[in-house]
Amino acid sequence: MNSGVKTISCLHTIQSCTISLGLSIIDHFIWIHYFPKKKVFTDIIRLKQESWCCRWYWRCCHWYVIRTHIAADSHQSTLGLLGLVFVGSPTTTVANARQEVDVDETSVFQHVLMSWMHVFLSLPVQEALSNLEDFDKTCLELALQGVSSIVQQEWGSACPCQLVLVTDGALGIGRGTLRHSLATLKQRGEDKKFPLPFPFPCKLYIMCISNAEELQTTDAMENLEQLLTLSGGEGQIFTMEGPLCLKSVQAMFGKLIEQAYMPFHAVLRCGHLTSDVQVFPRPEPVTLDEEVDPVPKHVLTDLEIVGFIEIADIASPPVLSRHLVLPIAVNKADEVGAGTTDEMEEDTSTNQMAGKSPNFCVLLHGSLKVEGMVALVQLGPEWFGMLYSQADSKKKSNLMMSLFEPGPEPLPWLGKVSQLGPISDAPENPYGEDDSKSPFPLQPKSKRSYAQNVTVWIKASGLQTDVQKILRNARKLPEKTQTFYKELNRLRKAALAFGFWELLKGVAELLERECTLLPDSAHPDAAFQLSHAAQQLKLASTGDSQYAGFEHNITPMLTDFSGGGGGSDRM
Amino acid sequence: MKMFSVSHKTVFVVDHCPYMTESSRQQIECDMLTKSRAQGVIPLAPVSKSLWTCAVECSMEYCRILFDIYPAKKLVSYIVSDSEFHILNSWRQEDQSVQELMTALAAVGPPNPREDPECCSILHGLVAAVESLCKITEYQHEARTALVDLADRVVNRGRIICLTNAKSDTHVRMLEDCVLETIQEQNKLAAGSDRLMPIQECELVLVHIYPQGDDTLVSDRPKKEISSILSSEVHSVRAGRHLASKLNVLVQQHFDLASTTITNIPMKEEQHANTSANYDVELLHHRDAHMEFIKSGDLHMAGSTSRDSGLKETVTLKWCTPRTNSVELHYCTGAYRISPVEVNSRPSSCLTNFLLNGRSVLLEQPRKSGSKVISHMLSCHGGEIFLHMLNSTRSTLEDPPSISEGCGGRVTDYRITDFGEFMRENRLTPFADISVDAAGRPPVERAKAQLERHTRYWPMIISQTTIFNMQAVVPLANLIVKDSMTEDDVLTCQKTVYNLVDMERKNDPLPISTVGSRGKGPKRDEQYRIMWNELETLVKTHVGMSERHQQVLECISACRSKPPEEEERKKRGRKREDKEDKSEKNGKELEEKVWTQDSDRLKVAVDREKEDQNQSEVIKDSPDSPEPFNKKPRLTTEELQPLEKSKGPVSLLTIWTNRITQANSRKHQEFAGRINSVNNKAELYQHLKDENGRLDTGTCRHLGDGLAAGGCADTGVHLGSNTAVGAYNTSITAPTRNESLAFINIYSDNIKTQNFQFYLLPSLIV
Repeated sequence: MNSGVKTISCLHTIQSCTISLGLSIIDHFIWIHYFPKKKVFTDIIRLKQESWCCRWYWRCCHWYVIRTHIAADSHQSTLGLLGLVFVGSPTTTVANARQEVDVDETSVFQHVLMSWMHVFLSLPVQEALSNLEDFDKTCLELALQGVSSIVQQEWGSACPCQLVLVTDGALGIGRGTLRHSLATLKQRGEDKKFPLPFPFPCKLYIMCISNAEELQTTDAMENLEQLLTLSGGEGQIFTMEGPLCLKSVQAMFGKLIEQAYMPFHAVLRCGHLTSDVQVFPRPEPVTLDEEVDPVPKHVLTDLEIVGFIEIADIASPPVLSRHLVLPIAVNKADEVGAGTTDEMEEDTSTNQMAGKSPNFCVLLHGSLKVEGMVALVQLGPEWFGMLYSQADSKKKSNLMMSLFEPGPEPLPWLGKVSQLGPISDAPENPYGEDDSKSPFPLQPKSKRSYAQNVTVWIKASGLQTDVQKILRNARKLPEKTQTFYKELNRLRKAALAFGFWELLKGVAELLERECTLLPDSAHPDAAFQLSHAAQQLKLASTGDSQYAGFEHNITPMLTDFSGGGGGSDRM
Repeated sequence: MKMFSVSHKTVFVVDHCPYMTESSRQQIECDMLTKSRAQGVIPLAPVSKSLWTCAVECSMEYCRILFDIYPAKKLVSYIVSDSEFHILNSWRQEDQSVQELMTALAAVGPPNPREDPECCSILHGLVAAVESLCKITEYQHEARTALVDLADRVVNRGRIICLTNAKSDTHVRMLEDCVLETIQEQNKLAAGSDRLMPIQECELVLVHIYPQGDDTLVSDRPKKEISSILSSEVHSVRAGRHLASKLNVLVQQHFDLASTTITNIPMKEEQHANTSANYDVELLHHRDAHMEFIKSGDLHMAGSTSRDSGLKETVTLKWCTPRTNSVELHYCTGAYRISPVEVNSRPSSCLTNFLLNGRSVLLEQPRKSGSKVISHMLSCHGGEIFLHMLNSTRSTLEDPPSISEGCGGRVTDYRITDFGEFMRENRLTPFADISVDAAGRPPVERAKAQLERHTRYWPMIISQTTIFNMQAVVPLANLIVKDSMTEDDVLTCQKTVYNLVDMERKNDPLPISTVGSRGKGPKRDEQYRIMWNELETLVKTHVGMSERHQQVLECISACRSKPPEEEERKKRGRKREDKEDKSEKNGKELEEKVWTQDSDRLKVAVDREKEDQNQSEVIKDSPDSPEPFNKKPRLTTEELQPLEKSKGPVSLLTIWTNRITQANSRKHQEFAGRINSVNNKAELYQHLKDENGRLDTGTCRHLGDGLAAGGCADTGVHLGSNTAVGAYNTSITAPTRNESLAFINIYSDNIKTQNFQFYLLPSLIV
């Protein structure tokens, strides 16, 4: 407690030197910005350990330390550059985070430093930041830029983040400060745009180690509010209540945790088989059409399995997000920021016990994996998702849940989910007795253009190919009588629809010419068919409703050359 | 995109006036003579399309792309205008297809050049277009009905694409004014109607088409707000390919499309079958498929190049030769329908046919660094091709703990295969649209109901169940979960039960799990008792379903009839099981632990005592026989009380004897016969006397039960299951170690009178 108070008090005595630290929790992104003393990192870690009360995240986080600035001793300029720290990958997530919570802090600290140095050297933003050395201020903008580039580079633009900015509310003066950034917001070119809003979904939480009254005396609050608006409005500004002490800081972070880091607990059901689970990361509410249906949809805490589908049938469906489904022991004190050591120990034993009692998730996972299937799960009214086994390269696998877009028909090839029923209701097993067939995918009511023989003459080559096809078949009459008429009718239809009567006349002339060019050896039927076809095209080109009907087809002329080669080919 | 954006309704208004018959003057050579035939043949004069033909085929191409990518919810109404307007199709979904429109267009035919130009005007069509936009679509209607009180959230917006040959900029302004006026008029009308909606927003796209070689009389003008409702833009385009590319650009703008060129597609050449050239195919799709590129600013880096129009950009992705038949679940963040830009070109149709045949192709995003990143996948589902966007960035869920590290992770005997079978039985299949059952449940609710039925009794681990490890039980287990059983099903179930009775008679071993238990396994008759109990539990959960389910339970109860104490004991046992379940669930195993320790201590004590007794009472099973499954000692206080309450000083012997007796009594239940015997002689099956003299297998089992309860392990009950007539003189012995505990003679002098004599002889040690 004393050390905590000391930490805080030292935060306030040294105001010239600023450091920003980012910490991301799997997909959440936390960024601390506060004032260090000499032992910068140990202080940060202590602060985190003491005030965050949430060791839960300790081992399952991605950490980024972004240091905007060192002022007092600018000789340390190498460290003064924008840097970042990445603490390992979440080798141990939520479920066993608690078991491994008592890690040696110093080793983690070393890991932090090493990773930091490693990433630091490969930082592309390094160059851009060298001008930072000239200023001794709280360069929030550069830090935000750093956040933006790190997240995009590492996580892409679809990964939702939570950014936590910890500050004492003293925003500094001059260029590069938030005040300056906001003032010059509108005078920037494309290349120097303010990093907010980020191109990825982001919630911004601003933690002020300072109380509201204090902030109101300057324009700090105003600026921070503007920052929040700029980021898209998602998030919140927290200020301290009561005296400036560790307890108040803890209380403030407690609120943040409550607000942003509550684990999502649900019950997974398959008939009477159930399991209490944590869905990680927390599924975000989804708004489909802000105009017609502006109420965001939330995932229910009762996840009911509807049935099962083969992986090949569900066929890599598009999903909104993916989540780990971790079975939990039900009496675990998972409520708000569980913290004390006693609880932790209790949990560990509960965990060990829970490991030995059968859990439906494990059974489900095992069978899904073995059978190569997914479970269709209902997330809410007209909202579905799928459960499946997700394996990583190291033979480890997990139960994963993906969310489909809300709606009655998330995947066209499955049709309406409400119309999916048990195979036992079907007159015969749609999968066949030996699993040789499948009722999926569903065929759409109408074929797409590429799945039918459409006629497009936008390019001359399209038209030429179609005409050549007819001529090629014309020369092989009577063997190709059927294909000849098929192609001829296709061309005729398109020409009629496009009002391209000139083409009909032209092709008729071509056919007549072919007729005259027939060799003596040609079958007599060829000449008959050619002149018949030519005549029919000419009739169609007059627009006479008797001959120019769209649904009308030119049929082969009925000839009788018994024993002739084309006999079998005739329609 | 909002559901009811401007793109929800598009009206094409195409000029059908006499001047549209004018030639586009773009000539097409359709007589391509091959060299060998060239001599002496006069080639056919090239043909050229009229302005009408150009307008129609380009608008059809627009619709083709639109319908490929949005098979629903984006609607087109096609109007042609001459001396009057002709509406070729309605907003109804079934009218939304290129075929529909082609048929209608063929009926309209090209404009009549002899028609009086004075009567003809595009205005007829534009007025009709505004009227059309006011008409409610089925989707708007549905949304309004669903929202009831909030129906005004459903907005009516639309777009008019007018293909015409305008005379001048003034003419264009006149057209715009006319549209605006009509909208204002129609909105007044629509306000008072149910089937009409006032237009909140309308986009007018005027495309002025003029023949090649002519100078345009109309100038281009970007989108401009004419009023709060109407905005308008003018495009002045030469007929022919210029018009085609203009409409291609427009369809992309109007429907948020983007272009991807698949490059390096290997294709066999027709002429040279051995060689394969690489081709490119350009596809259109929703621009969200490029989301990752757009946001990361990689769009230009990802090999995007400008195509002919100058407006259009395409992202190049490289074909990766597909692996064969791998069924994989990719992490896909979006799937978008595609439409090839040149649908009937050879490379396009080769690609689409390849995909339509069920193959998937991964696409690689070329990167500056040269690293290979698979960013997309082309795949076909039910005749529709989708461009899947695959996640190529780092996942936040990488390297998670294995499921084996969490709750239930250390249990190793899950019924994985059985649950796999369960999943196969509970696979889903699509049903026709109106397919509710008698109870009015849609298919998905029936699927849930089936899962509910199938899981009423479903032990998760092998050591928790006996019946599901027995092949013999399968027919019954499969049938009892059905919501309605046939007479045949009941017969099959009964047969299964008889078969089990037969097994028991033959003393077949049961697959009782030994996991988690200590010492030797339960005795065979105990095993059967457990099995019957479990079978009853299963059937009882379904007994409310129908009369026939009830019959199955009755059959089981009849076949396994047992003494009333047995029943009593079972009840208690079940209660305890329930308690176990609950405590397991709650993790409050404290109570349970104590109990287990107690019984363990007891067991150990008993075992030790038995050893002390020169092992005379221990009948060892063969090493193969299973270990006991959770021995359930009879811990009934009322039985034990008399022993504990013995008053006064007691001798060591008494204490010792009491203890032994107590221990033994916990181990077994006294023979009913011995308790009720007179001079060690008991009459068996007295209760059957008032029945009709039928001795069924169940009765024989009864005898076995009694023996089992008596603790004479491993007995062979040599009673025929269909004991009809005949005298039995059966010895039931435990022959293994010369330690006969009991020698039982059963005489059946006259089976019909059921005068069974059961002689209980004291332990005879031979």
